[in-house]
Amino acid sequence: MPHCQPEQLALAALREPLPADDAAHLGSCAECRAEVAALQRAVDAVAVPEFAEPGPPVAPPASVWAGIAAATGVQATPGGTASDAEPAAPAVTAPAAAGGQVLPLRRSRRTVVLVAAAAITGAVVGAGAVALLQGEDSLEPLTTVALEPLDGEPASGRAEVVVRPDGSRALEVDLDAPPVEDAYYEIWLIEPGVVDMVPLGVLRPGTQTFELPAGLDLAAYPIVDVSVEPLDGDPTHSGVSVARGQIES
Amino acid sequence: MTGVLDRAARLGSVGTVNPDPVPVPHGSAEPDDAEVGRRFAAGDEQALALAYARWAGQLHGMAVRAFGPGPDAEDVTQQTFISAWTGRARYNPEQGPLPAWLVGVCRHKIADTWARRDRQRREAEAAVSEAQATPAGGTTPPVDSVVTDRMLVLDELERLGQPQRGIIELAFFADLTHAQIAERTGIPLGTVKSHIRRTLERLRTRLEVDGAALPA
Ligand SMILES: [Zn+2]
Repeated sequence: MPHCQPEQLALAALREPLPADDAAHLGSCAECRAEVAALQRAVDAVAVPEFAEPGPPVAPPASVWAGIAAATGVQATPGGTASDAEPAAPAVTAPAAAGGQVLPLRRSRRTVVLVAAAAITGAVVGAGAVALLQGEDSLEPLTTVALEPLDGEPASGRAEVVVRPDGSRALEVDLDAPPVEDAYYEIWLIEPGVVDMVPLGVLRPGTQTFELPAGLDLAAYPIVDVSVEPLDGDPTHSGVSVARGQIES
Repeated sequence: MTGVLDRAARLGSVGTVNPDPVPVPHGSAEPDDAEVGRRFAAGDEQALALAYARWAGQLHGMAVRAFGPGPDAEDVTQQTFISAWTGRARYNPEQGPLPAWLVGVCRHKIADTWARRDRQRREAEAAVSEAQATPAGGTTPPVDSVVTDRMLVLDELERLGQPQRGIIELAFFADLTHAQIAERTGIPLGTVKSHIRRTLERLRTRLEVDGAALPA
């Protein structure tokens, strides 16, 4: 076989698997391997986990903004002078949810769950949310959650936590949303810090029931989230949420 | 649903290939991200505050992941915003969303911190070996060539236009295959492959010209 195509060698430098004949040639051709190694120097230089797509958000202390304001002379504050309707500074204000109340999710602006996270980092799940787990066994919904569209997305619905006579729990979801192409809806339970999340499954418009894992503490995962997932084989949350609700008592 | 899918393409992706198509009335009470980006580029101070409110958590999360919570991470986050603001002329809203650009600036600040630490380490070791009068036969602390390479690659990435930058960043930092990149961006597979090839060649050249020589 002749040498590999230059494009294939570039993909090899990115450590993508090659077609069998390319891979076989590469195994036996020092020239092509040297080419891959030369291209790989740049790949390796930045292949560190610290550079990966942002992971869990962390609210910086207020001193960070103070330093920025001091250095730039900017008078505006992230505290919400932009809008009378909604404060814009969840990332820096520590949500002092003194009464142990779950902070209401902010809606209508961010659809990126990882950023929205900062808005509710530190929220405390209170007694109310825990209490719903102690309702009597019945098929009556323990709680009903309205799924509100995020950022004007045409997706909404509701979710109900039900307990069956045998004690098992399920989430019944009614989703009103248009079909998506090359993507699908997925439903998640997310903890208030929006770091940990439990995928419940693929969701389609209409009514479906999802089994809740035995022992899952709903008070720890009170956010019911509907995301749009591209068909990319990546099992993690895409970051694109279209509807949300919060389990409350 | 194209709106959602367009957004899906931008997210994740640091780099993005499509400018935000959604026009937002100026003066809207709640400017969308694209509007914040445009105002940021135009020097609107409120946009800096809005950008901080929306993305400081994400950037600080990166900094904390690199250095743990504390002064180093806080410094990275702070320097990211200061440097982004003072260097806002380098941000072109048509070339991608502001948060993606901020993430790129944050990577630079993280790499700067590593480079500074590497320099301090070498200076300290050099001082020690000088004090011990050790002959320099192969024990001189080497310049960490990866540290240098990293800065050069990040610098060269900043010089790339779109869609090249978005494509290579998806490959580097989102760990997507070329097929996934094509799917996510809507750019034809062959085009993605040739952009990847040309960008890696360009990075190789930059490293060969400006980087430390590697043993042959
Ligand atoms: Zn060959």
